[in-house]
Amino acid sequence: MLEFLIPNNIVCHAVEAMLFASIACSVLGVIITHLNISSIGFTMTHAAFAGAAVGIFFGLDGTIAAILASLTIAAILGPLSEKARMSTDTILGVLFGMMMAIAIFFIAYMQYLGAGFNASALLFGNVTSLYREEIYALAVISVAAVLFVLIFFKEITAIIFDRRIAEAAGIRVRPIYYALLFMIAISVSLSLNIIGGLLLYVWLVTPAAIAYQFCTTVRGLFLSAPLVAGSVSVAGAWIGFQYSLPVGPLTAVAFSALFLMAVMISPKRRVPTGT
Amino acid sequence: MVGGTIDLAGIYTAYEGSDRPVLKNVSTSIASGEFVVVGGPNGAGKTTFLESINGMLPITHGQARVCGLDVTSHGYAVRRRVGYVIQNFAFDPLAPFTVRHVVMMGRYGLLGYGKQPGEDDRQAVDEAIHLLGIEDLEERPIGKLSGGQQQKVLIAQNLAKNPDILLLDEPFSNLDLCTRDFISEVLTGIADAGCTVVMVSHAFDALPTREIRILVMNDGHLSLDTCCPADEVEERVRTHSGGPHA
Ligand SMILES: Nc1ncnc2c1ncn2[C@@H]1O[C@H](COP(=O)(O)OP(=O)(O)OP(=O)(O)O)[C@@H](O)[C@H]1O
Ligand SMILES: [Mg+2]
Repeated sequence: MLEFLIPNNIVCHAVEAMLFASIACSVLGVIITHLNISSIGFTMTHAAFAGAAVGIFFGLDGTIAAILASLTIAAILGPLSEKARMSTDTILGVLFGMMMAIAIFFIAYMQYLGAGFNASALLFGNVTSLYREEIYALAVISVAAVLFVLIFFKEITAIIFDRRIAEAAGIRVRPIYYALLFMIAISVSLSLNIIGGLLLYVWLVTPAAIAYQFCTTVRGLFLSAPLVAGSVSVAGAWIGFQYSLPVGPLTAVAFSALFLMAVMISPKRRVPTGT
Repeated sequence: MVGGTIDLAGIYTAYEGSDRPVLKNVSTSIASGEFVVVGGPNGAGKTTFLESINGMLPITHGQARVCGLDVTSHGYAVRRRVGYVIQNFAFDPLAPFTVRHVVMMGRYGLLGYGKQPGEDDRQAVDEAIHLLGIEDLEERPIGKLSGGQQQKVLIAQNLAKNPDILLLDEPFSNLDLCTRDFISEVLTGIADAGCTVVMVSHAFDALPTREIRILVMNDGHLSLDTCCPADEVEERVRTHSGGPHA
């Protein structure tokens, strides 16, 4: 799609994939961080990771298996998270450990068996051998995530403000909440091949956290998070190829550095000085 | 505001994950335009009572009709016509919401998906903000207001909705004495305009001087359901609230 800008086909595909993955993840990330369900996002990304590892082991399509695993976790966690009981946190911790254990077990076993399995793509992502269909799928989900926010903007802002107040106002909180979990499952699963299971979570929370340091309106958050995520990801892909650095990890480090800087210069954290 | 009716016929309400109902066989009928005060000790089920009326909690037995609609099957439609000022709220000081934005949220349920607020909505919000006298707070972030100021914003939010019924859960708990009288006047005004008002309260010094319907809850039952003048409410509630302090 961006061939007219970037003549090298491989670099072009990498840039496109990073751009779409970052838009989808960061837009949903704004909602996730504000609903205080980061730990659900965390568990769902690792479920996608485990699903892909198991899927590949059984000779299935890794992405489809990732979507199924992530949706299954969403179906389990959705009702739990709605109640927001104390024990939810522990359950999430246990589930996260379980997902990591499954993923690592199958990856280790496949490496032991040999069979030409490349674990690093699943762990850290791979942007050099993308299929055209993967990029189209990412483009579709990033557009879907943006449309989701545009269509339900009022409802989402009210739910972010206070779930009970949103419900009392007559908003359909539950369907929107489940639609959100569904979108997260699809987005993280499609982004898995590009970003890798170990780093996926960075795309989901860090851009939103950076935007939060500067924005005072919800609109601002939804605009600046994908802007930050998109530009850092595109720059990461570009620089990674120029200097032969691993693209996913490089971008993740850049995000984290940017977050630290943002916290330091954020107007929200400024301590009043007594005069 | 046209005023709405509430008809509860032997309702039981339980919280999810608990098999013991909190409300047990509650029946009452509230006519359009009544001013109702709900009293009773802590944990008696007053909040549960309000949330059963607007369908936020599931009714397990019995039937509740509000504004002529069955609450169990038409919860969303009921909540669009019923305002509800919640009891315990806590807003993040850094939350990116101005007072005006929060008041506008009262209109969101009435608007369809993908629709932005229009002139009508802005006008309703202006009126509600004016009625509560919080024009000077309009552009302030809600998280940085005092508890009483936040309380006023939430009342304005529910008035912006032009509800047929207004439910309030201890709206006076954060307010100073003067503000109580002021809010009481505001509520009298909307009740006079025909809106049914159902208010949980322990502050009986700020009731409108008109006939009041009192409901007293005790352990999930209605132990008193009667009408009396405002200055007798406190005594009636006191004698009918069971427990060691009665
Ligand atoms: N989320 C919940 N899950 C389970 N039980 C609950 C829940 N909330 C309240 N209850 C129970 O329901 C009963 C009634 O609670 P409710 O909040 O309606 O009381 P209340 O009359 O509003 O009290 P207060 O004056 O303290 O506000 C209490 O015994 C309480 O233990
Ligand atoms: Mg209560």
